[in-house]
Amino acid sequence: MLRSIKPKGRVIALFLCIPVVWYVFSVFVPLITALFYSLFEWKGGPNKTFIGLENYISLIKDGTFWEAFSHNIYLVLVCIVGQVGIAFVFVLIVNSRLTKLKGIHRTFGFFPSTISAVCIGFIWMMIYDYKRGILNWILEVTGHADKVKVWLNEPSMVMALVAIPLVWQFIGYYMVILLSAIASVDTEIFEVAELDGANAFQRAIYIVLPLIKNTLLVCITLCVAGNMKAFDHIYTMTEGGPGTSSMVMAMYGYKVSFAQMNMGYGSAISVGIFIVSLIVIGGSQKLVNWLMRDKGVE
Amino acid sequence: MKKKFISALLCAAMTASMFAGCGGSDDKAADAPAADGAKEEEPAKEEEPAADAESSETETEAAADADAASDSASEGGSLAYSGEISIMHYSTSEESEGNGGSDGFRTMLKEWQDANPNITLAENVLANDEYKTQIATLAAAGDLPDVFLLQGMNTKAWAEQGLVMDLTDVVNNSPYAADYKQDYFTPFKDGDGKIYGLPVLTGGTCTVVIYDKQMWKDAGYDTFPTSWDDVLAAKEKFAADGIDTIAFGNSGKWQANSCFMSTIGDMFTGKDWFQSIIDKGGAKFTDQEFVDALKFSQEAFSSGVFNEDFNAISNEDAREYYISGDAAAFIGGNWDVSYVMATLKEADEEKYNNIGFATFPSIEGAKGDTNVQNIGLGYGMAINSKVAEDPDKLEAAIDLIYKLTGPDFANYVATNYALGGLTTVDDVDLSGFDQVTQDFYNWSYVDTNTCEIYDSYVSSAVWDVFNTGLQDMLNGDKDPETVASETQEAYEKNY
Repeated sequence: MLRSIKPKGRVIALFLCIPVVWYVFSVFVPLITALFYSLFEWKGGPNKTFIGLENYISLIKDGTFWEAFSHNIYLVLVCIVGQVGIAFVFVLIVNSRLTKLKGIHRTFGFFPSTISAVCIGFIWMMIYDYKRGILNWILEVTGHADKVKVWLNEPSMVMALVAIPLVWQFIGYYMVILLSAIASVDTEIFEVAELDGANAFQRAIYIVLPLIKNTLLVCITLCVAGNMKAFDHIYTMTEGGPGTSSMVMAMYGYKVSFAQMNMGYGSAISVGIFIVSLIVIGGSQKLVNWLMRDKGVE
Repeated sequence: MKKKFISALLCAAMTASMFAGCGGSDDKAADAPAADGAKEEEPAKEEEPAADAESSETETEAAADADAASDSASEGGSLAYSGEISIMHYSTSEESEGNGGSDGFRTMLKEWQDANPNITLAENVLANDEYKTQIATLAAAGDLPDVFLLQGMNTKAWAEQGLVMDLTDVVNNSPYAADYKQDYFTPFKDGDGKIYGLPVLTGGTCTVVIYDKQMWKDAGYDTFPTSWDDVLAAKEKFAADGIDTIAFGNSGKWQANSCFMSTIGDMFTGKDWFQSIIDKGGAKFTDQEFVDALKFSQEAFSSGVFNEDFNAISNEDAREYYISGDAAAFIGGNWDVSYVMATLKEADEEKYNNIGFATFPSIEGAKGDTNVQNIGLGYGMAINSKVAEDPDKLEAAIDLIYKLTGPDFANYVATNYALGGLTTVDDVDLSGFDQVTQDFYNWSYVDTNTCEIYDSYVSSAVWDVFNTGLQDMLNGDKDPETVASETQEAYEKNY
């Protein structure tokens, strides 16, 4: 019966090959061409000069690239704690028996994730604005006029200030993922734990965390990957400024390729981003696994 | 059987639409955002989609024009050539509504076509962003159209590769040679002084001080001060009222270069220094005069004359400070002037009539020119070197570029838009315009000395480094010497 409606292998292969071809075309082809171009000195015109690994040698010595890398790592750390951490706490709160209107919390919590990055950037620029921003206004009316600043022009603070919108936007996103993970856990387990006298904190650490470990791992990977390629929020708010104080790797690659029209070196930067991102993402997975090793559940 | 056929068809349609998304997207402005998105993700792939679209769209309107022309005009031109001339430009019909340069360009093309019915103009019209990509791709493939707009920055590279024709004699033998504003040719010269393009469209300043005559009068100045010390003195008066003296926005980083340093630099170094930078004639960014200019800029921006958040807001925000009266003056480019004028005309007639224009005041210790502003034409009409193979065709092409850059064009844009081009025209009748517009015309084209727009030359690789350092420096986080030496390093490496 089943066999009669099962399509031929050929047909299945044909359908499968559409996404495969698309994937190869949009991921591998650019990656390999970037790898190829990164071996040239190419200023965007018709002339390319083969220079071997020279671009990579300058990349390793390029202070701006490593400064941008450190900003990405900063973002990753802030966002793992901020996005996934806060989302986990929110999930526990929303899931609590005492919380009313859970649906509304879920919906509104998720809402910022649906707004485009450029809008988020503009919203937060208005908050930070020197003359008309809410932040400075609050400081003034609460009598802290001396603390008023041109916020996005403070090299030492700018990374923290651009990280806040990122955290704010994506809490809801991880909340939804974690909520669905918890929903799939048998509620009897929580009830039993409660009867046995475990308090909320103990239930979170010893019951919930191990049970949703794999989902948490996915969240962290998503978070790391998302922040290694951070671009749009920061581009809207500061364009990497002042100077290079909020420069991230993707933006540096973009600037070198398109603002400086240095395609060869820009390609080398893209390959560099690819490699360090792989290392960071792989490393973070290993780290999480290691931290969770004695929490029982595989 | 039927299902199979339909599924195969769907399959084909999907695949086709997928690839259609990648190729041939350059001909429609609506597709541009998608193309931009792809760019951001993968820099190296950028060249491919453009190449696909290479020769796909020649506007049919050109053919229609030609038909109409051959019907109406029998007087014909004096040109021996008959056949096709391909031209590529970015004065789209949408652009020409409200943009004087584009409108003038299209009008001149139409007039020339009408006068030369034997010649078919094959026009390829793209929006500016797409034009730049497309023309670079065509240059890479050695397949440029007969006549096109050459961007100043590309002149040297393309001339070296023999892609564009040497037009030095064409310029010197031009019937309008005496009226050409010679300074405008600088971006289109190579190191030996050969000219490869006739500057086209309209020129607009990049550094103009817009000030509110009434506010300055209240502060005790009849016009905008001509010395920087007076501006510093005026600052005290404005600050007491909680008003910024001059509004400026540099969040995009290019503003401090195009709309400030380019003019200040000239005031300190004089013209020869920058010419030598362009020609690689030995001048350095680390030269004392230029470092002095940087030092002055750093002091100026820390003096409190400018709004405190200048590095965090864009020029679009800064001009709003002027419009709302939060600042007594504003420094920006011609594009800001048109916005400020249009907005105030609508909103506040009195403040509109109080608009005054000034150059940057003179600075103690600066040895170069005073009363300068940087103005120029970014594109020049160039001819593909292959056209020389057919002398008749070449003659026609030269006639065309004379027309597009000559007095007809200048007259048209002056009388209709109060704008100027390459050719000077005497006795422009500006009486149809109000006083503010007339003032701006005279300020732009008559009453001021001109200097070069830095980033029309050299290489974007150098300016990106400079602009980034400059932003830090204006904040006080970097010293002028460091910025100068970093820029010099990028200059030696990339130019």
